[in-house]
Amino acid sequence: MNELDIEGICRIDERITGRYRPDVWEQRTAYYLRRDPDSSQVAEIDGRVVGFMLGEVRGGEFGLEEPTGWVEFFGVDPSAREKGVGRRLIEALLGHFRSKGAHVARTMVASGDKEIASFIAAMGFVPAPVTALEKRL
Amino acid sequence: MKDEVRTLPKAYHDAIEHWQRHNFPDYPKLAEEWDRFFPKDEPFCLCAKIAEDIPNEIEVGDRKGQQKALAPKELPEEAAKHLLTAIKAQASTEFGSIQQHQGTLARAQEPQDHAWALRVMAEELRHGYQMVHLLTSADWSPVTDTKAADMVEEILSMQTGSHVLAAFNLEYDSFLDNVVFAAFIDRVGKYQLTMQKISAYKPYASSMPPMLREEAFHLAAGVIPLRRWVEAAARGDGYITISDIQKAIGKWFGRGLEMFGDERGGQTNVKYGLKDMANREAQDMYIDELQRMLDDLNERYVRARFAGVGRDEAEKRFTRIKAGETVDGVRPEDLLRLPDRRFFRRRGEFAYQMVGAHGEAFTDVEKYIAHVLANLPEAYRASIDVKHWADLQRKVTRGEMPLKEAINSMPRLARMGGGCPCAKSVRWVQESSAS
Repeated sequence: MNELDIEGICRIDERITGRYRPDVWEQRTAYYLRRDPDSSQVAEIDGRVVGFMLGEVRGGEFGLEEPTGWVEFFGVDPSAREKGVGRRLIEALLGHFRSKGAHVARTMVASGDKEIASFIAAMGFVPAPVTALEKRL
Repeated sequence: MKDEVRTLPKAYHDAIEHWQRHNFPDYPKLAEEWDRFFPKDEPFCLCAKIAEDIPNEIEVGDRKGQQKALAPKELPEEAAKHLLTAIKAQASTEFGSIQQHQGTLARAQEPQDHAWALRVMAEELRHGYQMVHLLTSADWSPVTDTKAADMVEEILSMQTGSHVLAAFNLEYDSFLDNVVFAAFIDRVGKYQLTMQKISAYKPYASSMPPMLREEAFHLAAGVIPLRRWVEAAARGDGYITISDIQKAIGKWFGRGLEMFGDERGGQTNVKYGLKDMANREAQDMYIDELQRMLDDLNERYVRARFAGVGRDEAEKRFTRIKAGETVDGVRPEDLLRLPDRRFFRRRGEFAYQMVGAHGEAFTDVEKYIAHVLANLPEAYRASIDVKHWADLQRKVTRGEMPLKEAINSMPRLARMGGGCPCAKSVRWVQESSAS
């Protein structure tokens, strides 16, 4: 991923959510580029960005001391689904995590999001022995 | 895999810190702004970083498959000379860009833009530090009589006007230059670092990956403000117009192209295994990438001009405008355009050819100069650099100066004695002709 992928990522996000949020994706992209530009991935078909997966290796969060590859944002253009784009993205991202010394990858999925949950499960992720908790403020 | 971190011997480390105090006085502000703008990032480190996962065998050229050199004496003499020249030139660019950024850094309108530029400058300082490490951690005596300390002193003595490459001898006119420079000139840096990642000199190759990772953010620090500015320009509520940006592009694009070297050269670096591409090939890729960048900016501009229509319709309209059509009042000339690669060139294959921004040929030198001036920022037009170029353009066109002499001529400042600009013994004088 590089700085010229931002609009392509905005396009996918807009197709999925119906919202055009360039400011949000500029900030996120800048974050991942300065942290580890080799980590986050985009997929292109005919020179057009059709999928993205943003993540990085961090350690020490939530008491999880081991280096962990965090899969944090991803999306595939609806017109490019069922073509293995998501699988190739996550394989590339996990490969990078391994090269950075991570032996585990983690992510969180909204309980109501069956499509994402199904994809993540198909990629080999299993429920982790941690519980996501929240408190409304 | 983590990078190995190295610190220079105290004398050189102190020399760079001394240079920083004179040339980069805003550096201490970085620590103040870090927690606000980069809260999760590791603190900045003024050090050399060495990547550990670099192949041991030469990857391109005549000696492909042989062991990479660990010391200059293990390289063919000519290759070592080429390499030393490249390291010194690169060091000059790293320190030079800080001097340029510093001049207009405080004029950033947004705190984030300021913090990002400040981080870019600090990382350029680290890159300069990395080059000094390469110069001082090896024995270069097989190819130069100059001692490492003298090479470092020469580099740290350079000022805007006396650097090796023209792009680093131009003053910034406003914060717009900080941003356009990051988007255009740092992008050349990315190409150079990428090409040198395969260097037959392993310490150089090992220096590239950490620098490249930092360079990725530098490009974002150029493109992201530009994205915001074109959108504001489209809405009519910004302070920077498309014309302002276009003229800044006119100022920097040719200098960026010239950083690749003459279009017809670069094969020697490939032959010696120092780079994996010749100059024109890399330059072509750079131009394609800049075109993608401008398409990205223009799409966002068109989207903002047609705020009421959806993405698919805005994309269709952008395609029509780009193809030359005026759509609902938005004209092709309202979009950002990359000048012709031959426009306002002073070095390389197209040096001093009178080709306009859109590829049009000129035969009258005064009309050409007027055309170039109309495509440059107002403040830059008043600079000694532009006057120097115009004088040379006239002389070359009229046959009063050989092209080669014009190519080598720059409005240089020559340092006269002294160890540092803080010493009263230092004087800077303008040379009458270039070296």
